[in-house]
Order: sequence, then structure tokens, then C-alpha cells
Amino acid sequence: MSKETKQPKQPIATIIGNNLFMLGRIAKYAPAYFFASLFWGMLHGVRSSMTAIYTFYLLNAIGEGGDFPYVLKLTLLVMAFFTIVWFYDSWYSKAYSSLLQKKLHLKMHEELFVKARSLDIAYFDDPEFYNDFVWAMNESDRRAIYVMNTVRGFCYQIVSFSTSFALILTVKPMAAIIVLVSSIFSVICSFMSNKVNFAHRKEANPLWRKHGYLNRVYHLPDYAKEIRVSHANDLLLKEYDETADKKISLAVKYGKKYFLCWGVGWEVFAEITRFLIIFYMMGLLAAGEIAIGGFVASITLVLQMRGTLSNLLGNFARYAEHSLYIEKYREFLRTEPTIRGEITEIPEFETLEFRNVSFSYEFSSHAKYRFRDKPSEEKISEALKDVNLTIRAGDKIAIVGYNGAGKTTLIKLMMRLYDPTEGEILYNGVNIRNYDPDAYRQKIGTVFQDFKIFAATVAENVVNGEYVEERDRERVLASLEKADFSEKLATLPDGILTHLTREFNDAGVNLSGGESQKVAIARVFAQDTPMMIMDEPSSALDPMAEYHLNQSILHHTEDKTVVFISHRLSTTRIADRIYMFDTGRVVEVGSHEELLAKDGKYAEMFRLQSEKYRTEEQTLS
Amino acid sequence: MKQPKDKKDKKKKEKKVSLKRTWQNNLFALREIGKASPFYLIVYLSSTVIYGLLEFFTGAYLLRKIVNSVEVGEELSGIVMYVAVLMAVTVVSYLVLNWFWHVISPKMQQKIAMQIQKELFAKASEVELGCYENPAFYDKYVRAMDEASYRVSQVLDTLDTLLSHIITTSANSFLLFFIDPWLMVFACIPLFLGFIKKKESKISHDWSVARKSTERRVWYVQRTFYLSDYAKEMRIGGMYRLMLRDLRESYRVFRDLTNKYGLKVTLLSTLRHFGLDVLTVFGATLYAVWSTMYLGPANGGMSVGDCVVVIGSISTVSYSLNYIVDTLTQFHEHALFLEDVRYFLDYQPTIVGGERIASEDGGELRVEHVSFRYDGAEKDTLEDISFTLKKGERLALVGSNGSGKTTLVKLLLRLYDPKEGEILLNGVNIKEMTLDSYRDRFGTVFQDFKLFSLSVRENVLLREPREGDEELVIRALKESGAYERVMRLPKGLDTVLTREFDDEGANLSVGEQQKLSLARVFAENTPFVILDEPSSALDPIAEYTMFENMMRATEGRSVIFISHRLSSAVLADRVILMDEGKIAEIGTHEELLARGGKYAEMFSRQAENYLGSEVTDNE
Repeated sequence: MSKETKQPKQPIATIIGNNLFMLGRIAKYAPAYFFASLFWGMLHGVRSSMTAIYTFYLLNAIGEGGDFPYVLKLTLLVMAFFTIVWFYDSWYSKAYSSLLQKKLHLKMHEELFVKARSLDIAYFDDPEFYNDFVWAMNESDRRAIYVMNTVRGFCYQIVSFSTSFALILTVKPMAAIIVLVSSIFSVICSFMSNKVNFAHRKEANPLWRKHGYLNRVYHLPDYAKEIRVSHANDLLLKEYDETADKKISLAVKYGKKYFLCWGVGWEVFAEITRFLIIFYMMGLLAAGEIAIGGFVASITLVLQMRGTLSNLLGNFARYAEHSLYIEKYREFLRTEPTIRGEITEIPEFETLEFRNVSFSYEFSSHAKYRFRDKPSEEKISEALKDVNLTIRAGDKIAIVGYNGAGKTTLIKLMMRLYDPTEGEILYNGVNIRNYDPDAYRQKIGTVFQDFKIFAATVAENVVNGEYVEERDRERVLASLEKADFSEKLATLPDGILTHLTREFNDAGVNLSGGESQKVAIARVFAQDTPMMIMDEPSSALDPMAEYHLNQSILHHTEDKTVVFISHRLSTTRIADRIYMFDTGRVVEVGSHEELLAKDGKYAEMFRLQSEKYRTEEQTLS
Repeated sequence: MKQPKDKKDKKKKEKKVSLKRTWQNNLFALREIGKASPFYLIVYLSSTVIYGLLEFFTGAYLLRKIVNSVEVGEELSGIVMYVAVLMAVTVVSYLVLNWFWHVISPKMQQKIAMQIQKELFAKASEVELGCYENPAFYDKYVRAMDEASYRVSQVLDTLDTLLSHIITTSANSFLLFFIDPWLMVFACIPLFLGFIKKKESKISHDWSVARKSTERRVWYVQRTFYLSDYAKEMRIGGMYRLMLRDLRESYRVFRDLTNKYGLKVTLLSTLRHFGLDVLTVFGATLYAVWSTMYLGPANGGMSVGDCVVVIGSISTVSYSLNYIVDTLTQFHEHALFLEDVRYFLDYQPTIVGGERIASEDGGELRVEHVSFRYDGAEKDTLEDISFTLKKGERLALVGSNGSGKTTLVKLLLRLYDPKEGEILLNGVNIKEMTLDSYRDRFGTVFQDFKLFSLSVRENVLLREPREGDEELVIRALKESGAYERVMRLPKGLDTVLTREFDDEGANLSVGEQQKLSLARVFAENTPFVILDEPSSALDPIAEYTMFENMMRATEGRSVIFISHRLSSAVLADRVILMDEGKIAEIGTHEELLARGGKYAEMFSRQAENYLGSEVTDNE
């Protein structure tokens, strides 16, 4: 996390606000956890106080020759109380809190998930937002538990400290002052050494990342071949050594500072104060101001109190640290989707029209997130520029063009994953911004180029959600048939109930790229929408399989509207209309024959692709 | 359902490491540390001993001394001198110890980590590729890589903790024993609690095993929501509801498991704390108080000073003893992880080179009756393959997905050895040549090529840049069509790829990356060139120019290229059509077309898409 290394100054109000916010979340999602934790802190505080009072009393009693039966009765009472405390402690820390933490985790994640899904994809294109988001996902629930632990610890320390402090005041106020002063000193030292550590981590962070990368290169199978057939090994080892040397010199540099702040400033100083307290108490003993029992009791108490106090003060620093993290979590929750709409009843598809649509990714992501500096003019590259097109019910449309011509972007706009930067998209004549995005997307079935297969059953993957046997069975089978998957299906052990991927199920099946693509296509058939979009539906297939699949798709979509994208021109011949894209613009429109006759870009591209086949065929004939 | 059970059993078996092996594995870690610096180990452990002794002498022992001397009525000035001297010694020792801990030690730790990491890297680049495909081996390997340096330092850490507890326990026990031998009864209670502890951790372990699969499920759901790959699918379908349902169900599973295991663990843990924190501590305290109050020093009981020491030390002893039991199980855990590390480091690669140096200008490559089967596969991936690649010949390998093209290439590069048959370079079995010299004769672009997070220059050369490499790199980039793009990068040839480590680094598109990896082949003038689907990420125009360039630039070199677009096979001198691991057809493009076999069928099928009716007309 690059952002962790920045250490912004936070006003106290923010720190308190953020920590309270997190506590509020915990109390809301897992109230039992909240109260059980607080109770745990109190109980241990009382236990610690009781130990202090008991020891104090005992030592004094021995010195002055007290009453043994009374000591016995007292001890048995304390023992009984301790047994109860440990029972609660065991139940809380060994069994119950882990379950409650799970509950918190799940509730918080559910909130984050729903939020994440509602947000525009454009946010995900912004690396900074994305980093924060992944961080919020991974870290927020853990941070919630840290906050709870800190608060819990605070309860414990405050109860324990106030008892000890009251006790020591009854003996000698002067001793209490020594403790306070040395604790304040300890906090300063720990603050400074934290700073040293922080600076060290910050400076060493790139080095750690670099080593992490090199580690990855050696253990991921992806790189194995490359390393074996080339001499990259030597280069990588050189990098490793250089990084390691830098790491070592940093360790020494910061080690020295740390030695001064913590080693000398705190650990050695702590020893000195310990002896000072002993000397002071010896003085009191010699002057007859305290008895032997009191002498030992005070020293024990003072040393213990010093520990509690520096923990207590250190506790405050932790809230500031928590606050930094919580801030990011809150910021994520505060982010609002910009792609919204009111109308949830979407009429049946008749036409879809792009009117002077332009779109730029940079502008879209930057404009939305935190109003960050807009990218300078020359950096804005428009993915789509002034696009006009119309699709009517029953049309077969092909979108063609080279890599980066804007084909996939067009589909994303059609699906309203992004809103155009300029111009408008009309569905049945109504701007799609008026429609609720979820409801609108239900009307269009899409296979993306980078479709995903989920770790679920074949049926669930096809239905794209929960599968109900009596309702969905026919539909799933028919869709798989249409997507040319039946042959493979026959070989699966549990038919459509076979689990895909081995992620959780050792009996799961890993499909090849082509087979996965067919399942993704079946998904669209199962949706049975009047309009279907296919983004390079056959890219993972070899020529024979591609041929079969295309035949099948064409056969089963006769009455539907189909938009397909391809950079292989072979499939475009059957389209009613072809839109040829070049650097974000529509450069040619027409049927295959019209465009060939026109002898423009499309014709050129088609010729290049077919050239080899053509010349060979001609020489043969 | 049978499979997972087997797997679990296996894991359990793996989990057992004999006592002897535990000892050896931990010793192995200490030897690794010794290799990096023999003195460090000794100094480190001595520092612990000194620290432990100081703690004891400035703690319970000092208090006892003061109280006893006051009771006896000694002059206080004597004891003040004693405390002052002790203070001076302590302060000086602490200065030295802290210097060692904060300055010397971190540096040494880094060196040790480096030492073991480099041993692992060396091994990783040496083991054969098959190891990556064997899940059991690969699991161990990943764990070894991840854990090794951490575990090695942990062994030292645990040893250190053990030592410090032994010192604390023995010093304090000695004192207690000296005061009253009966006190040892209380001090020994924690030792009997070991049984409870063992039972408790067994249940906890079972519990966490039972949770595992559900936890993995939760992780997966989490991933589908945060990986941007899934972002589109999650928005357009109803899949997210299924995912949220899984999430809610997982809580039910966790709750049921808590009900099943929670109470048992709670009771055992309470019992353990009762023994340790209640019975031992208060038992000894009561005994000491009784001995002082009823008997008194005069009747063989304890003095006030002794009693004070007992109250102070008994919990120290009982805790330290408890920790000693813990550290022993920690050594066992380290041994489990180190087992993987040692297994990996001791592994002997099966693909090793011979003595001979492969001829610099290549020659004739002959494949004779080669068959190959991946470990654990049910049938051969390659079956009885024979062909000859003449010097300077261009060979196209075509065939449908899974027909064995890429596997054949891996055999040619000796990433695998054939199960049967042999591969000969100029009549000499390639196993007789050194691995380096043989592989150096090949320039290869894999289908799943990888670029490294290094400079463009280094990525093209894949070796240490030398004087005069500049022109070589530029020429190679020009030939692969990447030159213009590279020159537009902020630092030209010295631009580091990916932004991961360099803010001025460059993120290239897949097509650009592929061009860069092609430049590698042009930069080294190897006699053999292998291209595995070099055009898959390129659009038709880019593909066309790429092939033209490639043919020109590799003039005189032997080339094998794989493509499933048959249009490019036309460029080859000869074509091999592979089908289900066998050579189905071999010959020139014209010969194969004339033969009217499978190749001809595939070719016309692909051509049909472009030429439509013309093809049928011609026929």
C-alpha cells in the first residue's frame, strides 16, 4: 500500500470521529461481540486490581505478623473469583469471540460487496481508487477487530491503573510522581522509535516489493520456461543482490537510530529508574517510614504500574493509527455511483440508437473520483469519437476494426457500464440514463471477451444465479445445446450439476478456454433476451470448433437482435450491417458486399486476411 | 467424494515428522545460520544468557538480599554499595546488548535470509519443468519458497526463547528449592497440565480444519467482488445474489461448528488456567505465608525475605515452565515446514546436462520415434514422432488445440526429456550436451511469454548488457516492430517495464509486449528459432507485417513456428500437421493440399470464411 507510507496529520476530532464510527459499526453488526469484549476488558481490569490489592495486603500482613485463618479465607475467595474470570476468558477468547468476529466480517463484507457492485466500473479503472477499495475489502474487518481490541485493552488498563495509583498514593505520593514522570518519558521514547520504524519501513518498502517480485518470478510456473531457456537468471540474481545490499545498509542506518531512541532512551533508562525507585524505597525503609512488607509491596506495585501506564499511553497512539485506516474505509462507503436511473419497468426492445457519442476513459474515471486534477488535454485520448449508429429489432450487426479501435468500449456503453462523455444513447427513443441500470442490463444478454466462469455448478453458471431444478432444467439444457456444449456435457460426471473449477471441489472440472467460452455463451441463451451481444465469441477456439459454434449461434438467433464483435472478418459476411471502426470512429457502414464494392478500409482488411488463402487457391485451380 | 478424503489422509501422514527428523531439521536451520556467520549464532545465544541472568539478579534475588539484610540488622551502607555496583554493571551490559540487538542483529538476519533465499533460487532454476506440474511437489516448493527464511530465523528465535526460559526457571527454581524443597511440588503442576494443553490444541486443530473449506469459500466470494476481472459479470447478471447467499450460509456453518467444539475447548482451557494461574500460584503463596506466620525462621519456616521471594517467583517459574512445553511443540512445527525446504533443496533434478558443448552454428535436428507422457496423465501426449529439421529450414507446426504442438517444442528445448526415442543434434543425442550450451542455440518466443520488470534493453538481451549492445537492441526492436513504441517511452531503451518499481516505468499492451518478446529472438543470432503462436495477440494487419519481417530477419536460421491460422503455414518450407499427439501429415503446403487430407480440409474450411462460394466454385 503506497498510501500507508504517507503519514498525514489528523485533527483529534477526526481521530475520535473515525474510531467512534468503527465502534458504531461493530455495535450495529455484532452487538454481542461489542459488549462481550468490553466486559472482558473490565473483568481483567478487576482481576489485575484484585491481584495488586491482595499482594499489597499480604506482604504488609506478613511483615506485621497477621492472622493466618483470615488470609486463608481471603485467598480462597480470590481463588474462586479468579476461576470465574478464567472461565469467562476461555469461553470468550477460545470459542465465542471468533464466531462473533466471523459475523462481523460477513456483515461488513456484505455491505462492502453491495456497495462495490453498485459503483460504476469507471471507479475500478482508477488505480488509486482500486487500491483503496481492495484495501478496504481486505483490511476493514481486521481493523474493526483491532479497534475493538484497543478499546478492550483500554478498559483493562484504566481499571488496573487507577487501583494501583490509589494504592501507591496511600503509601507515598512521591513514588507515584516518579512513576508518572518515567512513564511520560517512555511514551516519548516509544513515539520516537515508532517514527524511526515508520521511516525505515517507508524507505525499505520498495526493496521489499522488489524482493517479493523476484520471489514470485522464481516460484510461479509462468516464468519457469523463460528462466530456463535464457540467461535472465543472472540478471535477476544481480537485482536480488543489489536490493539485499540496500536492505542491509538501511537496517544498519535505522538500527543505530533505533538503538538511540529505544535501546538507550528507553531500555537503559528504564533500568536506571528501576534502581532509583529501589534506592528511594531503601531510604524510606532506613528512615523507618515503611515496614519490610510495605517496602517489597511498593516496589512490586510501582514496577507493575509503570508497565500499565506506558501501555495505557501507548494505547492513545494506536487510535491515531486506526483512524488512518478507518478514514479510507469510510471514504469508500461514502462513494456514490453516478450511473443511476429511475425507471425500472423497461419496455421490450425496439431500437437502440447512438447519437454523436464520444467517450474517454481518463475523463470518466478522473472526473468522478474525488475531483482529482483533471488530466491535461493531450493526455485525454478518446476511445470513441462522435459515433452514430442504430440497431433495430431483428438486426444482425457486426462491429469490426483493429485492436484498440473502440469495439469493446462500444459494448460497455451499450450495457451502460459507462456513460458517454458526450452525446446520448437512446433505447426505444428514451435516453438510457433514465433507466435503472440493473433493470436495463437485464434486457441485453452479453458475452464479454474476458468472460468469467464462477466456481459453481454448470447449471448455476448458465442460469447466472440460483438454480432451481424444476424451473430451470429445460432451459439450461437447451441453452447448452445451442452453445454447442452438449458433446462435452455428456462427458461430465454429474451432468449440469457438475462443479466447475477445482477451487473448492476436488471432483470439480476445469474447462478449457474454448469450453468455458461455450458455457459463457450458453449463459446468454439462457437469459433469452431479445438482444444479444457477443464480444469475440470464438477467440479461444481453433478453426474447426469456431466454424461449428458460429453455425450453431446463427441457427439459434434467427429471430433475435445480435451484435457481434470480431477482428476475424470471417463471421461478418452474414451480418445485415457492418460497422467498421477505426481509432474510435465509425469509418464505414454497410453490408459485406457493399463495403467490398466500396473498396475502403474494410475491403483492405478483408483482403489482407484472405490473401494467403486466395493466392493458394488460385494457383491450385 | 472419495478423493478429498484420500487427500486429507495424505496430509495427516505428511504432518508427522519423527523426533529424530525434528531434531535434524532444526539443526539444519542452525547450520544455515552458521553458514552465513558462525559467530553470530554464538554471540546471539550468549546475549540471551546474559540478559536472563541480569533479570534474575536485579529482580527477586536483589529484593531477597535487601530484605534479609535488613531483617538481620546489617548496616544499610554495605547493601547500598552492592546495589550501586549492580546498577553500573546492568547499565553497561544493557548498552552493549541493545547495540547488538538493534544494530548488529537486524543486519545479520538479512544476511541469513539472503543466504537461504539464494540457495532456493538456484535450485528453482535447476529443477525440471515437470516439477511445476506435479501438484504435490509444487505445493511443497511454494511453501518452501514462502517460508524458508522466516522459518530459519524462527528456529533461532525459539531456541532463544527456550534458553531464556530455561535460565529463568532454573535460577528461580534453584532459589525456591534452596528456600524450601516442598515448593517444587507447586512449581511442577504446570508440567502435568501439558496433557490438557495437548488435548485442547487437538480439538482446536480439528475445529480449524473443519472451518477451512468454508473459509476458502468466503475468500472466493470476496475475490469475485473485488477483482476487476469479475466487475462486468457481477453487474450484468444475478450471480452476485448466489455469492451473497453463500456468504450468509457460511455463517451458519461457523455457528454450528462453534456449538460443536466451543464448549469442550472452553472447559479444557478453564481447567488449564485453573491449574496454572490459580492452583499453583495461590497454593505456593498460601504455603509460604503459612510457613512464615506459623513456623517462622526460628522453627525452620521461612523468613519474611524468603516469603517475599516465593510470592514473587512462583508465578515466574510456573509461566516459564509452561512456555518451555510450548517451545518444544514449536520446534516440531518448524520441523514440519523445514521438511519441505530440505526436500526441495535436496531434490536432484532429473534433467541434467552432459559434457559436450553443442555446436555454435547449429546444424541438423533429428527427432526419432519420440513419445512423451506427462506425469499422471492417462495417455501419451506425443506418440512416435519422427522428423528432421534441416539446417536453415522453416517448419510450420499446425493442428487443433491439444494436439501436442507446444509439448513437442518443450521437448526440443529439453524442458522435458522424451519417455521413448531420442532427439539428435548433428547425430549426437542432446542429453550428451551441457544444458546451457544446448539451450543457448535456441531463440524462443513462448505462447505465454513473460517480460520481466527490468529495463527494455535487459528484457531484449536477457543477459547483462555489454559495450556495443545498443545497436543490436535497436536493430532487433526495429525488426520486431517495437522500435517506434519504445522510442516514445520516457527513457527509451532504459525504461523499466511495469510501474511496479518505477514511477517512470511503462505498461505496454499485450500486442506490444509480444513484439518486445519477438525482439529477443532477433537480438540473439541463434541457429534455431522457435515461435509458439507469435501472432495470437496481434490484429490481422500487424500479424501480416510481423510474419513478413520474421521471414526476412531469420534468413539462414532454422525456424519452427506454431500457428493455428493456416494462412501463415504457407510461408513455411514444410508443414507438419499434428493430430492427437501424432504426426498426421508432413510435407510442403502444396503437397499437403494436393493430397486432399485433413490439412487440405482445414485449410479450405478456413479459406471458405474469407472466400465463400469461390472455393466451392473452384473445386
